Amino acid sequence: MIRLENVVKKYPHMERPAVKNLSMEINKGEICVFVGPSGCGKTTTLKMINLLIRPAGGKIYINGKDVQNQDPDKLRQNIGYVIQQIGLFPHMTVYNNIATVPRLLGWEEKRIKERVDELLDLMGLYPNENRDKYPNALSGGQRQRVGVARAMAADPPIMLMDEPFGAVDPIVRAQLQNEFLRLQEKIKKTICFVTHDIDEAIKMGDKIAIMRSGELIQFDTPENILFAPANPFVEEFVGFDRALKVLNLLDVRTVMKKKLVTTNKNDSWEGVTQKFKEHRSSFLVVTDDRVRILGYVNRQEMETHTDRRWQERIRSFSTTLPLNATLKDALAEMLQHDVAVIPIVNDDNELTGIVSMEDLRSYIGEAYEDEENDDNPVIMVTGRRGA
Amino acid sequence: MEILQYFMKQWDRILEYTLNHAYLILIGILCSLVLWISVGIAVRNNSKSAGTILGVGSFLMSVPSISLYGILMVIPGLGLSRTSAVIGLVLYSMLPIVRNVYMALNGIDPSILEAARGMGMKPRYVLWKVQLPMALPIIFAGIRVALVMMVGTATLAVYIGEQNLGRLLTYGIERSRSDMIITGAIMVSLIAVLVDYLMEYLQRKLVSPGIMDYDKKPASGEVEYDGI
Repeated sequence: MIRLENVVKKYPHMERPAVKNLSMEINKGEICVFVGPSGCGKTTTLKMINLLIRPAGGKIYINGKDVQNQDPDKLRQNIGYVIQQIGLFPHMTVYNNIATVPRLLGWEEKRIKERVDELLDLMGLYPNENRDKYPNALSGGQRQRVGVARAMAADPPIMLMDEPFGAVDPIVRAQLQNEFLRLQEKIKKTICFVTHDIDEAIKMGDKIAIMRSGELIQFDTPENILFAPANPFVEEFVGFDRALKVLNLLDVRTVMKKKLVTTNKNDSWEGVTQKFKEHRSSFLVVTDDRVRILGYVNRQEMETHTDRRWQERIRSFSTTLPLNATLKDALAEMLQHDVAVIPIVNDDNELTGIVSMEDLRSYIGEAYEDEENDDNPVIMVTGRRGA
Repeated sequence: MEILQYFMKQWDRILEYTLNHAYLILIGILCSLVLWISVGIAVRNNSKSAGTILGVGSFLMSVPSISLYGILMVIPGLGLSRTSAVIGLVLYSMLPIVRNVYMALNGIDPSILEAARGMGMKPRYVLWKVQLPMALPIIFAGIRVALVMMVGTATLAVYIGEQNLGRLLTYGIERSRSDMIITGAIMVSLIAVLVDYLMEYLQRKLVSPGIMDYDKKPASGEVEYDGI
């Protein structure tokens, strides 16, 4: 979708180039996050894609066409652009702000109106209430939503977003991020997203491009960046709590055990004891006829109480988690309820698997095993904890 | 009482002078708007030439009006004419209008212009749809200053042949006729107040409600002048 080949940008007053021989390819429908310390060239790279900055060398292709051979205005009308300061036009209503690009493209007013209302709806802003407001009557979060709506007005296949959620407070930022991710599932745009916040990058990105001093240091999925940082710089940049960040990134399906020994509440006492004999497990999950969880029975209790009324000894789980819960949620629940296993249920509340502290630890442990075998002391020596 | 009597007796002449006065200002401000707004737009991206232009404007403003008219009078082809009178007014309004246009256009938040360019607006379109509408409150402030100055300066144009309210003042002073002086002064002030009121009305009609509060608390680019 977007391909950069040996892109270079030099500024006259600077000794080293702002962007050095950058080559990468961004796939259709993906969010690619550019992240790095300030002055690393991430914003410059973004602005070269819509020619707000002209590259000094190299080629940038969108759908195979060299952007530098195109009329910059036409090019930009087909690329959504969102910046941190939003840049809403204060003298125009929300409606006219969003209508900007459709008007440049010569849409009919009726079509524009439908599109504006559709976008306001999509952004969770009531059209009738907000259409005719001026930006100074909106809150920071609302302005940001209008900014995103304006960028999406003509339904461009590509969006460039330069720290789009940087100017709002952390709570609103998290809201906007979640909303945007949900939106992206529907709209599937190709998005280049700039941030200096590695947590935001991990949360938003399908791919992350870590940059330093104009160079691309690592370009990979968030998982790979967390599990296999290319060098000490990336390692330090993602932070020493990256194991915890991994937990936030992966959902319970990655470690969930699907093959479970369960028992039905109508099973006989013999049936249950048989199952305990066949499997080493210390407990059995009990479900009803529709595979909904009722609780569990404990091996020890089954062995001590032989009165056959085993159903009376079903204990309920303190908590269950949905399939899209993250490993961090699972760990938090385990710590909070002081349990070692959490059943995972689907939307119909049916048991689909189970996550245990043991699985969690071994999964993360395996991922970092190589590193430990290297006997690499870097992490401990340069740890920031004391600083 | 004297004043009222004078007014009753000479109302046709006073009316003629007032209309002449207003007409001169009208022509003066129209010429100034066309000329100085264009100049302000032309130098908006060129701080060097803007500096020169604003320097000339400041110099012109510091020349006493009487001597400016004196100079215009001796220029061949101008002499004692309405053209000279209008040129005088136009020169005086250079600084407030050019300066405010220049500052207003340069005072716009760069991120708004970046967003505009990033959406694919051509520079000319950005100027007309974004920069000028956003600059309006400050430009209006400049025009108002220019107008109020013109109302006063126009009285001195009687020395180069204008038949306006300045006559009442100069004759009144020459003949120690306080009724003439006061009538003239009242009429001049009345025009000034009316013009200001008209501008306020126009501003409310033309400036977007979204940036109205720029007007309440002067933006950094706004310049205040005292006196004429």
